[in-house]
Amino acid sequence: MEQKFIKPPVEIRYKEELEALKACDTGNCPENWQMSPKAVRTFILGSPRPVKYQGKEITIEKKYFGNDALVERCIVTLAGNRGLMLVGEPGTAKTMLSELLSAAVSGVSTNTIQGTAGTTEDMIKYSWNYALLLSRGPGREALVPSPLYVGMEKGILTRFEEITRTPAEIQDSLISVLSDKVLNVPELGDAGFLFAKPGFNVIGTANTRDKGVNEMSSALKRRFNFETVMPVREASMEKRIIINEVNKLARESHIEVQADEDVAEILASTYHELREGVSSYGHRIDKPSSVMSTAEAVSVYYQAMITGYYYGDGTLSMDSLVQTLVGAVSKENKDDLEKVKGYFNTVIRDKSSKEGGLWKEYYEARKWLR
Amino acid sequence: MERILRSQKMAEIVLLPVRHHSPACAFHVNRAISALRPSVILVEGPDNANSLIPVMVHEDTKAPFAIYYSYHDQSGRISDEKEHYKCYYPFLDYSPELAAFRAGKRLGIGTAFIDLPYGDILAASREGRGLLKAEEEKSNYNDDYLLSRNEYLKQLCERTGLRSFDEFWEKYFELNGTTESDEKWFGNLLTYCALARENTPRESMEEDGCLARERFMAERIREQGEKLAGTEGIVLVVTGGFHTPGLKALLENEDEKIAEAAKEKGKKDKVPEKDQGVYLMPYSMEAADALNGYASGMPFTGFYQRIWEGLQETETPYGDAVLDMIVTAGKETRRKEGYLSTYDEICACVMAKGLADIRGKRQPGAYELLDAVLSSFVKGEYNIATDAPMRFLRKAMTGDAVGALCRQADVPPIIHDFEEQCRKFGIKTGSTLEAEVTLSIFSNPKHRLYSMFLNRMNYLKTAFARKVKGPNLQLKRDRNLMREMWKYKWNIQVNSSLIEVSVYGATIEEAAVSLVKEALKKEMGAKESAVLLTEVFEMGLREQMQPVFDRVHELMLGDTDFYSLAEALKSLLMMDELGGLYGSEMKFGRLIHIGCRKMISLLPAMTKIKDEDLNQCMNALKLLYQVTGREGEEFAQEREDYYDVLGKMIRDGEIHPGLNGCIHGILYGSGQSTAEAVEAACKGYLSGTREQLFSTAQFFRGLFFTARDLVFIGDDFIKMLDGFFGQVTEAEFMELLPELRMAFTYFTPRETDKIAAAAAGLHGKGRQDIMERKEVYPDWYAYGKEMDAYVKGRMGSLL
Repeated sequence: MEQKFIKPPVEIRYKEELEALKACDTGNCPENWQMSPKAVRTFILGSPRPVKYQGKEITIEKKYFGNDALVERCIVTLAGNRGLMLVGEPGTAKTMLSELLSAAVSGVSTNTIQGTAGTTEDMIKYSWNYALLLSRGPGREALVPSPLYVGMEKGILTRFEEITRTPAEIQDSLISVLSDKVLNVPELGDAGFLFAKPGFNVIGTANTRDKGVNEMSSALKRRFNFETVMPVREASMEKRIIINEVNKLARESHIEVQADEDVAEILASTYHELREGVSSYGHRIDKPSSVMSTAEAVSVYYQAMITGYYYGDGTLSMDSLVQTLVGAVSKENKDDLEKVKGYFNTVIRDKSSKEGGLWKEYYEARKWLR
Repeated sequence: MERILRSQKMAEIVLLPVRHHSPACAFHVNRAISALRPSVILVEGPDNANSLIPVMVHEDTKAPFAIYYSYHDQSGRISDEKEHYKCYYPFLDYSPELAAFRAGKRLGIGTAFIDLPYGDILAASREGRGLLKAEEEKSNYNDDYLLSRNEYLKQLCERTGLRSFDEFWEKYFELNGTTESDEKWFGNLLTYCALARENTPRESMEEDGCLARERFMAERIREQGEKLAGTEGIVLVVTGGFHTPGLKALLENEDEKIAEAAKEKGKKDKVPEKDQGVYLMPYSMEAADALNGYASGMPFTGFYQRIWEGLQETETPYGDAVLDMIVTAGKETRRKEGYLSTYDEICACVMAKGLADIRGKRQPGAYELLDAVLSSFVKGEYNIATDAPMRFLRKAMTGDAVGALCRQADVPPIIHDFEEQCRKFGIKTGSTLEAEVTLSIFSNPKHRLYSMFLNRMNYLKTAFARKVKGPNLQLKRDRNLMREMWKYKWNIQVNSSLIEVSVYGATIEEAAVSLVKEALKKEMGAKESAVLLTEVFEMGLREQMQPVFDRVHELMLGDTDFYSLAEALKSLLMMDELGGLYGSEMKFGRLIHIGCRKMISLLPAMTKIKDEDLNQCMNALKLLYQVTGREGEEFAQEREDYYDVLGKMIRDGEIHPGLNGCIHGILYGSGQSTAEAVEAACKGYLSGTREQLFSTAQFFRGLFFTARDLVFIGDDFIKMLDGFFGQVTEAEFMELLPELRMAFTYFTPRETDKIAAAAAGLHGKGRQDIMERKEVYPDWYAYGKEMDAYVKGRMGSLL
């Protein structure tokens, strides 16, 4: 029977694709990898031709948009000796990319440390089951391995989310592990050396724009290859992402509504223009200080859609879209709402008078901006 | 390659498609020529450059060099404007065209260019298309845009997951290039070119002048073919791949009538040869790199030069070149930024190889190199603060080589004129050391001519000489100096830049005149036109004075920008004063009158200026005061109007306080107003509300600018100032300090001393009392200095 989750892990969601790729993989695999680097690339960036597997034709869809070369660099980094650090603004799909990479390389994307301000060194390395520790003394069975420990032991990838949220001295406990590939558990005596198996590596993600992040030490920086994930640069690409993601979310929640092309276009251009500070007509726009990420746009669309589905007539109304938009932008700073208002009163006004239709409805819904 | 087999009328013709600047292509061209041993080699390129071929293949000539084509449209064939046109045809060691010429020389085979002369190409292109494209500053003859910009290619890149045409080209034509046979390699290229051509509309090709050129080239090929008819000889044709299918179609076309018609038409419409110029000039890698804005050929010239050199030894030179570049960029990063280790370089190499593997490339190429350095060298988020390694890498990939020409190279008449002038003035051009010369321009007529020559060279942007001292008429500085001091230095770049302007005339003077004429056509304001007038003045271009003068007249009448007019007026006044010294008979009186009147008429609108414009505005007012205050009746009318307007301006309640002070000073100075009136205005601010009180500082600044002597009449002003300082708190004082400092800068040190003594007197202290200061201990000073250096250092590393 099929298990239901709000958000199934990548390896379950794309189980069929992963199996098909594994079966048809002809390339060389690095030790302990589930598939060859080329197959990992195909899994993330999609393939124009479907893969034949068990008599079925399985289409490998493109899961990550924006920068193919970046994905290729990530894959090569993971096969090498250094960790991979994905940095960039919030909502640029860093986490998604790291999940996709781990699922494809190691077959599991859940071996994860969540970095917070309260993360301690034992959460990164290991801790103890104290009942067992007291009754039997220090031994492997009393040790509670951390995701890093598991990664080294099994030769799989360990993901470290939001690494810059943890204090710098805690981050630094990774240094020796990354350079020597060994973790020492002094309590276990001579048996306490855990040598990492091939296939082990770390994917970190870090925010550069949020408040409350800590600078990384240069010693740690040296042990990573950095990849800067940029926001999507084209409004048309952003629209495609919104439609894809919203449809996926709807499918998972069993809502029988499809994302509307025109609405997605309006939302994508709003987010795109507010982020870039200039409209497609050339207006100069005041940029809001809160993050205008594509991920935000997806959640605004989805929220407005389910509002219509459950409380309205089943369709998405511009009113609820603007209402959700207000909630999304006025998080950090009161001025942001004013900036969005200004945007509606100039850019959207001009677009509504020129394009008409939905744009007009969108412009009229500006009454909810308060 | 395309072969057209021999017939009774014609010898065998082999068409080789090429892409400009491609190591693999040059390699195959070279090999194909050696294998085929043709009787003659024909190369795409304007045929009026044929005389340059011996120089191009001379052993002392070093690439990169470029053919410079110029055309002066005297007959108005292109437009009624009769403009000057120029374009470049750069050659690198790995240009297939150059490889063909060099192979020709090596094997003793005749070579020739076969394209339309430059002027005729222009005449065949539609406005704004082909070589008449306006947006590019430098137009290049060998632009690969036909191959690299089309819808078909866009789709192709999307399907293959490649970023651009250049990456596509590298993957499919360069990286495997040399392992394939010539036949196969040219075959693949031809397939691509045919597809690109099919996806380019015919009208677009016609508008670009592309079809006219092909008709002409086909004719030249046919001529050679007929000449060799009945022999075993082969005619080998090297052209851009895009043209190959077109040429083949034209050559196979048996309809002789069309060819005849084209021939006739070609003769009739030919652009006069005397209007065309063609010269060789040394070029640089930097200028040839497509990434520097000249969209022709391949990017990364330095990198591909390295590949070309490697190709002579091995079939797979990419690995070595990538390693070299990684090490070069790494070394530079280590030297300038200091954080890079050898392990980083190892990681970059592994990354480049891994990427080549995952992308299905046999060897890592330029794009893998870029990705590898980006991934392994850049620490932290990629932004302007961390991109140094990428900058170093790009620089290394562009290369810094500069070409040289052999001694036999022909040069345009302007260079002969330059050398002639240098001889005349005793300037040595053999040495590349900087020399210095001092010219008494006003007392020695020969020195004046010397200075005119150097000024003209500067106007032509040759970077030959620079004036280090002397009157600067453009900035209106150092007008009191009687001598000019110049530094000059000759190098090969000076000749290159002279060749670039050779289209404008046969002598330095002619070129300067043409450029002035061109400048006159441009949009500008009164200020810019007056600056141009000063330049013409300095260059001693007498015949040009009148047209520029007329243009200044016209622009002054039309210009409504107060400050631009003020600047123009200032330039005119200066030239009026210096005219005698420079030996000019030009009269500027009428223009000065116009400038004055226009400025006075604009004045009433200037009361509410912004703070940052205050200085400019005060200077303009002072200038008007000086002009209208001239003795005699010449400016009587303007004088009256001026004071009238000033009187009205200070009655405006919202006038800028600084301007108010400035006008009060002028009115006082000219006797239109009394010290009491100024005092009253001052008191008005002092007794006003808080913000008005604050603007007193600005009022003082304006006042002292024009009438600082007021302070020394009695002690009323000093008392008033003292009272003002008494009214503000310490914090407010600090806020006002910058403005006050500005106000007091107009006093001479002696005057400041006098004011300070008077102020001290008001508080019962003497001159000596305020001179005493607390001692500053040496170690305090040392500490402060150290701190200063430290902060500067830290700030420097952040910038």
